[in-house]
Order: sequence, then structure tokens, then C-alpha cells
Amino acid sequence: MAMQVHTSTIGDATVLRCEGRLTMGTAPTLRSAIDSAVTSGRARLVIDLAGTAFVDSSGLGALVSGLKRTRQVGGDLRIASPQEQVRMVLDLTNLDRILQPFDTVEDAVHDW
Amino acid sequence: MAGHDVVERIDEGARLRALDALQVLDTPREERFDRLVELVKELFRVPVAAVTLVDEDRLWAKASTGLPVDEMPRRDSVCTVTIERDEPLVVANLEADARFNAYPSLLGSGLRFYAGQPLHAGDHRVGVLCVMGYEERELDAAELRLLRTLADWVEAELATENELQRAAVLQRALRPRSVIRLPGIEVAGQCLTARHVGGDFYDWFIARGSLHIFAGDVMGKGIGAAIIASSVRAVLRGAARFISIQEAFTRTAYDLDQDLGDTSTFVTAFGACLDPTTGRGQYVDAGHGLAVIVDSEGVPRRLTSGGLPIGAISGDQWLAHDFVLSSGDVLVVVSDGMLDFFETLSDALEALSELCDEDLSAQQLVDEITAFAQRRGPVDDVTVVVVKRLSG
Repeated sequence: MAMQVHTSTIGDATVLRCEGRLTMGTAPTLRSAIDSAVTSGRARLVIDLAGTAFVDSSGLGALVSGLKRTRQVGGDLRIASPQEQVRMVLDLTNLDRILQPFDTVEDAVHDW
Repeated sequence: MAGHDVVERIDEGARLRALDALQVLDTPREERFDRLVELVKELFRVPVAAVTLVDEDRLWAKASTGLPVDEMPRRDSVCTVTIERDEPLVVANLEADARFNAYPSLLGSGLRFYAGQPLHAGDHRVGVLCVMGYEERELDAAELRLLRTLADWVEAELATENELQRAAVLQRALRPRSVIRLPGIEVAGQCLTARHVGGDFYDWFIARGSLHIFAGDVMGKGIGAAIIASSVRAVLRGAARFISIQEAFTRTAYDLDQDLGDTSTFVTAFGACLDPTTGRGQYVDAGHGLAVIVDSEGVPRRLTSGGLPIGAISGDQWLAHDFVLSSGDVLVVVSDGMLDFFETLSDALEALSELCDEDLSAQQLVDEITAFAQRRGPVDDVTVVVVKRLSG
């Protein structure tokens, strides 16, 4: 099943809301959404994962490369509302050290 | 007719049809076979290695190294005898063996030692992977297994040109073949791939007196992940032979920084070195998170650290942590494909503790865990490496 990415903005921040599993098959959709946001000059990104029950390593890869991409241009990428499996893989891989999850989208953007 | 003993009756007509169906006879040399016989020659430290096919009245070599001819009469070839049975034929000294010492092909050649593993096409033995040498020699069990593994590879090559299948066999060949012989220590591992090939890898070897083990998982699946996995394995293996595992991880990340960056890939990996006599060791966890020691009471403890996956950020460094593998302890490293079968990490750990409680050998544990994954059909690659320190 295809994952959908819905884009919205809160102030300077761009929120990319993923609906569906973020996997090898769907990660390119998120990658290109991140790409077009950064290309259009919006480098403060929140990835809202409330609607994503499962992330595999390729999904994590899309998040990590998005983080690198935004930081290269002085921005940042934050994760909001991850579900249990997503928290678990972030914890296992220690990627929560660089992709610190926020409970809500509002928390993620609070200091931007 | 004499010599009935246990040689099974061979349907020669069907055998020749199976050989024909391979469509390999009299085809030009191919690099994939040429390289293979060179590899076989190196692995067995012999002057002659060949992939031969036994045709109706001749022996024909698809690939050979160290042999002056590619073809000889069938009746003069040792390989003709090899394919009579479904087992390797090892002749320590051809000159001392009445079956072969009058073969014109061998007279004056100086070749004494011969070992050949039959090659199959379907159910038929159509050829042989053989090695020959000038010195009398036997093969030990590990060498026989190696010959068999390589023969399996040759058979797969003969049967298909499917590149992915070739990649899969090569990837299996990159797994550690050496059997670790350390008093009181057992090591075993297995890797199931969701596709022909995958991004999981594992490795083990002894360097500077310590047992080294590695397990890793390259992001993604399939051939792309497999290519990166073989690079990571090679760099880790090369580095860890000479420097500490802590430095080996940092070095590997440095060496592969551009490759991983260009492909937006990261790798989770666990590595450990263990002094086999004291059970003391050090480990590095690069975001793998799935290494567990289960003690003799069945209590699991995870070997964790804050290390990020290799390639997650540039210029990262890793810290080694100390651990002790006491008598009766089992170190189990799995890849995250294993987690797909459990609701939570603690469920997985609980299942593992129960299994370790049954006092199985390292190999039995690996077999149990992979059988469990196979029953459920892996959607991701699943890797298991087990190190057991025997009690007493």
C-alpha cells in the first residue's frame, strides 16, 4: 500500500505528515518530499509519524539523509509523534541521539 | 562383470542428455569459471585445478589451471572414476594406486595427489571439480567441506547464468568458512536472505589470540545492500586483524564515508573480541542493539552503547565497552529481521532466554533460531551469530 506524504506549514517549519508504512518501497516518496521542501528553501522540517505504524531500515535511511540534507543548509529535521515500533527502532539504532523524537508536532516546532 | 560392489548403476544415456542440456560442452573459456579454478588452486595450494565434464568418450575441461590439455580420452581420466560415486574421490598417491598408476595421462607428469568432487546436472553426475598436486596428500574434513562448497558453486554456475543467483552464491562464499577451534568456545552463525542476496553479513576469525566476531545489517535489501555489505565486511575484517575493534569501526566508517554518503546508506554493526581463556572481551555497538549475553541462569543482558550506525553522520567515532563471557554464558547477535517476529524487544529476549535454557550447543542454537525464522518466512534478512563459553 502506498504511503502518502501531506505537506503543511507552521510558521517557518514545514510539516511532512506520513500516512502508511515507511519502508524500502515508500521511502523514496518521503525522500522526494524532503527534497522539494529543501529545494524551495524550507529547511526546518518536522516529519509527523503519527500515521506510520512501521519503519524499516530504508525508512530510517530516508530520515537520516533528510537530516543531513537540512543541516547542510542550516536547517534541521525533527520527528514528531512516533508510534511504538518507530520508537523502538530509533532506540535500538541509537538514532534517537540525532533524530530526537518529539511527542507532538507542536513540541517539535516550539523553539523555531 | 566384476566390480558390482556398491557402485550404483548409471543410466549413461540419461547422464549424457543431462550433460548436453547444460549446453556447456565445447563452449569458449569464461572468466567466471577461470577465476573460480584460480581461486580453488589458491585455496588448496595446489598446482592444478579444473572443472571437467565427462562426455561420452572424452574428458573436457571447461576451465583449468596448470593442465597442459583441455581434453583427453575418457578412459585415461581419473575423473571418470570420480563420477561413479556420489562422493569425493581422494587419491593420496596416484603412483601407489593400482587403479591409476598406468594411466598414460599421468605417466611422467609427476602428479601424485588427486581430489575430485562430482558435479551434478539435475540428478546426474556430469563432471568433476578436481585438484591435483605433486606431493602425496590427504584432505581433512574441513577441506572436504570446502571442496564440496566450491563444487556446489560450480554446479550453480553450470546450471544458470542468472546474475542474482551468482551473486547469492558468492555472498554465501564470503561468509566465514573457518571452523573456530578454541578450547571451551563454540562459534556458529547463519544468515537467511529475504531475496537472493541481502545486506546482512557476519564474520569471525582469530586475530592476535582473540576471537573476533562481527554482525551487521546494511540498510535496504537486495543487491545494492549486498554490495555495500561485502565492502563493510572486507574493511572491518582487514582493519580488525591489526588494530583494536574500537579503532576498526572508526577506520571503517572513515574508509567508507564517501561510499555510504553517496548512496545515503548506513550500516548497523556489532563487533566483539574475546580472550578465549579468560572470557574477557570488548565490544563495539554501532546502532545494532541486538547483541545479548544469556547467562547460565537464563538471564539475558543486552550489550548496548550509544554508538550510531556507521554512515549516519560523517566523522563519527565509537567506544569499546568491556564484557565478560563467563562459563556457561551464551553471546547471541541477531539482526533486526528477527524482531519482526515479536511484538516487543522484551518478548524477543524472553524467547531467547527460554531457548538458551535448553543447554544447546552454539550450532544447535543457531539451527533453532533460523528454523524459527524460516517457519515464519523472513520478510527481511535474518542473521544469527552465537558464541558459547562451555561450562567447566
